[in-house]
Amino acid sequence: MREGLIALLPRLRRLARALAWQVADADDLVQVVLERALARAEQWRPDAALDKWVFAIARNAWRDELRARNRSQNLFAPEEDGDTVADVAAAPPAQRLELAMALAALPPDHREVVALVLVEGTSYSEAAELLEVPVGTVTSRLARARATLQAHLGTEA
Amino acid sequence: MNPIDDDILQAYVDGELDAPTAARIDAALVHDEVLADRVQQMRALRTQLQAMFDPVLDEPVPAHLSALLQPSVSAARRRPARRRWVPAVALAASLVLVALSVWWWRSDQGLTRMRNGQPYAAGVLALTLDQALASEPKAHAPVAIGLSFREADGHICRTFVVRTPPTLAGLACHGDAGWALPVLGAAAPSEEGELRQAASALPPEVQTAVDERLRGKVFDAKQERAARAAGWR
Repeated sequence: MREGLIALLPRLRRLARALAWQVADADDLVQVVLERALARAEQWRPDAALDKWVFAIARNAWRDELRARNRSQNLFAPEEDGDTVADVAAAPPAQRLELAMALAALPPDHREVVALVLVEGTSYSEAAELLEVPVGTVTSRLARARATLQAHLGTEA
Repeated sequence: MNPIDDDILQAYVDGELDAPTAARIDAALVHDEVLADRVQQMRALRTQLQAMFDPVLDEPVPAHLSALLQPSVSAARRRPARRRWVPAVALAASLVLVALSVWWWRSDQGLTRMRNGQPYAAGVLALTLDQALASEPKAHAPVAIGLSFREADGHICRTFVVRTPPTLAGLACHGDAGWALPVLGAAAPSEEGELRQAASALPPEVQTAVDERLRGKVFDAKQERAARAAGWR
């Protein structure tokens, strides 16, 4: 299974990047996923697809992190706006920044179908199984996420 | 026969339709421009998202992740995951921009950390900002310092260029919590094609930020050294 996980690492990192915000956060997520996968190795049956099993772990780990994030957020003092926040000019891929922002602003259940179906290329039925929702829920979330993102498409394509 | 709605189009673009239905859409697209436009847009979204994330597949996997999968690594030697999550929901739009700029920076080397939703210098970047003097440039250092000056509100700011790809330039301003990074941008390569002189490589957004903050003159070598001795306060 370790070999399978090694082969899967680039795709797992891509999925994590599409879910989490920053590279460091995404790789923290990957680390948690690998640790969980190794700890539960005996639960994986070799006839089952390793990628699906790992991606389901990734999705659950991401949800756990979001919950933890929301909890810790309450410990922070309210964000001060104004003088501490300077305007930042667009970083390198300016034409995609708007799309990236729109993606980051999606609700988590929309973001995960986008990450699975549009980035990873998972089929509707696999995504439904992985997310433990009906296929119709996957397609309706996807359609709504698409409508939001479509408005922020860069001009280059 | 069913009308072709967005659900069917979406399934068409995602390759989820059976062959006869897909063929029916194929045929409809030939003479329905509105429909063809919709499909084109949906494809463009897929393409742009993939262009955004597929490069991750070609990135080298960080050693600490592949090391986890080496049978010899004991649990004790594993590096604890850094918990540096940004309180995302609370972020204002400008903060989203800041965070994404940092995200785009691919801060693999840990050059930044987030604190209360704002990026701060970390690692070698923080070290360089603390220690390096523009008057004593180091040719092979990963980060080069450009201008140092005291901004209108009294904080000391320094421009910098990260030389290792992806090259980045920005402005760091010193405060109680360290070096805040209010501005980041892509570094413009100098005429020689390398980032020899940090100041000449500053992208316009950093230059503009400097112009806005600068009151008086930039530090000369003596002032820069004195500022370092005073802990950049």
